[in-house]
Amino acid sequence: MRPTHTLRLVFVATLLLGLAAGAAAQNSDRVLAATLENGLRVLLQEDHRSPIVSFQMWYRVGSRNETRGTTGIAHFLEHLMFKGTPTHGPGEFARLVEQNGGQDNAFTSQDVTSYYVNIAADRIDLVIDLEADRMHNLRLDPKDIASEREVVIEERRTRTEDDPGGFLGEEVSSIAFKNHPYGAPIIGWMEEIKQITPAQIRAFYKTYYVPNNAILVAVGDFKAPEVLTKIRAKFRRIPKGPPPPPVLAVEPPQNGERRVIVKKHAQLPIVYLGYHVPNRKSPDAFALEMLSTILSEGRASRLYKRLVYERQLALEAGGDYNYFSHDPSLFWFWGTPMPGQTPETMEKALLAEMEALKSEPVTEEELQRARNQVEATFVFQEDSIHRRAGLLARFELIGSYADKDRFVEGLRAVTAADIQRVARTYFADDKKNVGILLPRP
Amino acid sequence: MMCLRRFCALVLVLTLLPTTPTAAAKPIAHREVLPNGIVLLVAERPAVPIVFVRAFARAGAVLDPPDRAGLANLTGALLTRGTAKHTAPQLDSAIEFVGGSLSAAAGRDGLTASLAVLKKDLGLGLDLFSEVLLTPTFPAEEVKRKTAQIQAAIKRSEEDPGTVAARALARLVFPNHPYGMPVEGTVESVGKLTRDDVVRFHETNVRPDTTIIAVVGAITVDDARREIEARFGGWKSPAEPPATTPPASPSGSPKTETIQKELTQATIMLGRQAIRQTDPDYFPLTVASYVLGGGSASRLYSRVRDEGGLAYAVFSYVTPARYGASFAVSAQTRTAEVPKVIEIIREELTRMTREPVTERELKLAKEYLIGSFPLRLDTSSKVADFVVAVEEQGLGLDYADRYKERVAKVTPADVQRVAAKYFAPDSFNRVVVGAPKP
Repeated sequence: MRPTHTLRLVFVATLLLGLAAGAAAQNSDRVLAATLENGLRVLLQEDHRSPIVSFQMWYRVGSRNETRGTTGIAHFLEHLMFKGTPTHGPGEFARLVEQNGGQDNAFTSQDVTSYYVNIAADRIDLVIDLEADRMHNLRLDPKDIASEREVVIEERRTRTEDDPGGFLGEEVSSIAFKNHPYGAPIIGWMEEIKQITPAQIRAFYKTYYVPNNAILVAVGDFKAPEVLTKIRAKFRRIPKGPPPPPVLAVEPPQNGERRVIVKKHAQLPIVYLGYHVPNRKSPDAFALEMLSTILSEGRASRLYKRLVYERQLALEAGGDYNYFSHDPSLFWFWGTPMPGQTPETMEKALLAEMEALKSEPVTEEELQRARNQVEATFVFQEDSIHRRAGLLARFELIGSYADKDRFVEGLRAVTAADIQRVARTYFADDKKNVGILLPRP
Repeated sequence: MMCLRRFCALVLVLTLLPTTPTAAAKPIAHREVLPNGIVLLVAERPAVPIVFVRAFARAGAVLDPPDRAGLANLTGALLTRGTAKHTAPQLDSAIEFVGGSLSAAAGRDGLTASLAVLKKDLGLGLDLFSEVLLTPTFPAEEVKRKTAQIQAAIKRSEEDPGTVAARALARLVFPNHPYGMPVEGTVESVGKLTRDDVVRFHETNVRPDTTIIAVVGAITVDDARREIEARFGGWKSPAEPPATTPPASPSGSPKTETIQKELTQATIMLGRQAIRQTDPDYFPLTVASYVLGGGSASRLYSRVRDEGGLAYAVFSYVTPARYGASFAVSAQTRTAEVPKVIEIIREELTRMTREPVTERELKLAKEYLIGSFPLRLDTSSKVADFVVAVEEQGLGLDYADRYKERVAKVTPADVQRVAAKYFAPDSFNRVVVGAPKP
């Protein structure tokens, strides 16, 4: 079992790897990229295999942009984006998408809020119209806000209050970050979800939902220049906003172990370990990314093989890193002890694996397998236009969609010595954040 | 990523059986029966150099002996844990070294082995794939290890209110049928399984005359046939005929069950037996379910979530399977609102039986159900799942087209007639997980 927020990281990593392969596979460089006068970034890629399109809007806003007292506001607003504009009433967005055979959804992460519609390619005009409308004209009616607040609270109950893994993950993040907003849950603290005001939501929307803070990506069965013309026609009327305020919070260095023990109704204990690590801006990021693949990708991966298979200590175990994180975040390790095993044993076993990474280089076989997995995953992702679009957006968010090639090269160049060095640098005993879930019957 | 707006995964999986690859003049897959009875399905998708292979053997949990619940599941989980040529770690290393994956697992009706590889590694992948189906050795050490893992996973799943509710509901909806038992079994039943049970189950039930193999991706029909025949051509079925499973019988008077858990939210599930795709009423039922609780414009979504703010997740779905079908409504709400949400669900079920759906609702449902087909068949993996499902349930490879035609013909009167048959609120079993003690 992975903590919900770790799950998030895993997902990102997978997407990432997927992309890498895509670069090699085919026409990934044929992207029509443009920036409109109002700052909206547009990336279009033709893919004519099926008569469909994946249309995605990515806003550069997530829980990292929230301030104390309003945690969860980015995610709350994401829900409200489906509540209508003067032109398209409440529920109309979903109704129109479904009526045209489309599927839509949205998610909020620490760094971004993303909306997608997958639909028959000949319906792309409708989607352009709807997305342009809700970027600027959201109603944000107090009555809708009141009822949707209850929905978000129910969502939090499902994800966190009644989910032992989700609950523990939140606690560990909150001790690991004493200043940076990454310490707060994406969905927000319950008390603050309850107190966010309509005025705060309106201000948040006005600040962050501006064309110069968004990326529009579409991949599918269309002619890119024609679609660009249509996008320009609909979005150009939306005025550029002031640049959203930068996030200035910096997480100070950690000066000693931090530990949280949660007692909760559960069947099995859970152990999480989190270490502060740099993000992609550091040359160590490639080695950390490869390390997470070596630790967790598949049944031959190190933690599965040793802790789950050979020693039979864990029902599940793994490690995760988020290369794409906007600000430096955590490298996670986790383990669920088998019945009869204690969390102490589990923690010791995870720490022993870390010591092993420091004392001995990973094998050439482990490294080569990870390289092959990275490249293959990326070819597999090419099969889905939805994933292709998501990958373009993710690379654009951290620099440029074209960086994916550099990313694969960077991963390929990682050596066993690099991995040993980053393990020694970042997995120091007095820098760990430990979370233990003790089941209460 | 977390915090999706809508809790949709379950719905997408369960609404099942979408349709065709749109303007497909040619069938979705080539089909032929090999001399030993294997049904081979091939869909050529040359654009990306990957190949997916699925084998579906009719060796699901329905064949578990009554005192051996979980046997198919254990057998499936053990297929990749050692063969005549490779130990489990060797299999894992071999397939993962080329960035591929090889897995096997049982469901209610069958046991599925899945391979995903780059085209250049197809030979290696198929060698391993055929080994795990044909020559698994079920080493005693691995049986012991896997049994303990399954028991631990069952134990942990007791934490998940959705799983607990679904298990309880299955027991009530299918009281006299294997569908009432969990595929994974119980901690106790799994503890009783032996290596001999597994060996016998595999020998008896994993056999070519009830196996479907689908090959989808960057490969031609001729190449797929040659590769499959080379590895599976000599596979022979046992002399005795394949095991049979009776269809589910009616479940008798509906029951209510409350499972106390210390939770802040309750999971409510209402369910009953329904019909499968071979019944003409299946199509109006699908439309009725969609209008009631299928999408974000559905009646339940509007009343319970949008207007009431009572739930994050609320939906209804039909689950057809080979030996029976069910229809269920599910919602999660704060403990205090359980009676209110149940009341709304009952009201909306009743309304479906008493008045025809509006033309607007019907149009929306049809346009979604028909129009979203291409999205459900847009990757090789989805195509493989689809062709196996239609073959396994005996629907024919033209099912997608027939589905669209049948859905398009549904009238408001059809919906009301079928709702009258299947939506009467008192005909539903009900499970609530998490409610406080009264």
